[in-house]
Amino acid sequence: MAQIEQSDKGKKKKGAQKKIPIHVDFTPMVDMNMLLITFFMLCTTMIKSQTLQITLPTNEKVEQQDMNKAKESEAITMIVTTERDAKGEIKHDEDGKALNVVYYYEGKPNIEDADGDGRIDNSNLNKEVFLGNEGGVQRGIRKILHDRNKQVLAKIDVLKEQWRNREFSPNKDKNDSIYNVKAKEIRNDSTLTRPVVIIKAAPEASWETVIGALDEMQINQISRYQIDNINQVDSVMILDYIAKNRK
Amino acid sequence: MGKVKIKRKSTLIDMTAMSDVTVLLLTFFMLTSTFLQKEPVTVMTPSSVSEIKVPTSNLAQVLVSPNGKVFISIAGESDPELAGEWGTEAIRAEILKKAVSEYNRLHPNKKVELTDADVASFAKLNMFGVPFQALPSFLRMSQTDQDKVITDMTRNDVGIPIDDNVDLEKPNEFQIWMRAIYSSGNDNLQAAMKKGEGIAVKADKGTPYSIVHHVLDNLQTLKMNRFSLMTALKTEND
Repeated sequence: MAQIEQSDKGKKKKGAQKKIPIHVDFTPMVDMNMLLITFFMLCTTMIKSQTLQITLPTNEKVEQQDMNKAKESEAITMIVTTERDAKGEIKHDEDGKALNVVYYYEGKPNIEDADGDGRIDNSNLNKEVFLGNEGGVQRGIRKILHDRNKQVLAKIDVLKEQWRNREFSPNKDKNDSIYNVKAKEIRNDSTLTRPVVIIKAAPEASWETVIGALDEMQINQISRYQIDNINQVDSVMILDYIAKNRK
Repeated sequence: MGKVKIKRKSTLIDMTAMSDVTVLLLTFFMLTSTFLQKEPVTVMTPSSVSEIKVPTSNLAQVLVSPNGKVFISIAGESDPELAGEWGTEAIRAEILKKAVSEYNRLHPNKKVELTDADVASFAKLNMFGVPFQALPSFLRMSQTDQDKVITDMTRNDVGIPIDDNVDLEKPNEFQIWMRAIYSSGNDNLQAAMKKGEGIAVKADKGTPYSIVHHVLDNLQTLKMNRFSLMTALKTEND
């Protein structure tokens, strides 16, 4: 075979040389590229971390009178916690989701014990969970916060629609900044009924729940919230709730 | 004979198209991804809807491991004009000198002495987390040994001590470090820290709040009340 080819080439040397296309073998190039891709896939990450900005109060002791106390009707206290087993490992439900729970009460804690049996009569503590939206409908603790901040959210929704249609400015950045200013105005509008949320975390609460609670503030456009330390009254109420609702 | 010829031709595959695809993929990966930073522990950050990106320059990142050990990573200016003076390595060296001199002032009996080689070795570390007393011996180790030490969470000399958060006259080692970072001399870093963008706290999803709270409490004592928390992105439906 080779001979024939050779003889062929020999016969039409000039014509054949012209016709033979220059052929570069790309196989080593592909090999090298594959190696480089593998390297980049293993040594880099596509996940860009986001940040959640918070401001905590100073640690300095503030006089009780100086503290601007939240109006009772507006206040809602959230106590987040995570169920853990005896070893301190987080418990999971059937779907593999961490068992994060939120206890909440509106206004002041109610710990009256008129009959003196050591149990709180009518605790205003309730229990909820963190749940995402389903079909655009709020669920879990988000629904409760959403309902408390309805006036602000209704206005923000109108604003969001305008922002989506770029009604403020055709320029994207300008559109965003005008939207942000207007949204902030609405969030801080004192003529609307807005809740004041006090977030408390139990020591065993996972970091995820604390971030989750802060996240709910963002989702529900709540501008007034604070992180506080859990106190005795709260733990008593939770223990009482658990004791009452044990199956 | 004609048949044989066809067979021989068919074994040759043109790799040009394949090469095109791989180059495209390579370009995509190079442009979209960032290099993984070496960290002593891998933490899964919780997710939030916040879309603020974590800055790549002028950032002090505080990593809290699930068992409460604290590590700090410092990033300097990325702007090439300022990188000479306040680039990542330059600012790390500056902060180390400040922190060590402050430590020596507070602990005259157990002074820490560092050579220039130690400082240079520190500037190359992405994330550090050893007590001051262990710093000289740690910096003189080979890189492999350093990695071995810092990833061993059971060791007592790993993690920056954050206990005794009572008195700013007697700051703990974490507070010495944070103050040194704050007063590094680069105004941009200080401004970023004041705004809260310059401090990022990173902790694992499952870490108990009591552990993270301890770190946040330290920051509050330092009057660094504004800071960012590192999160991953999620949507409202998750």
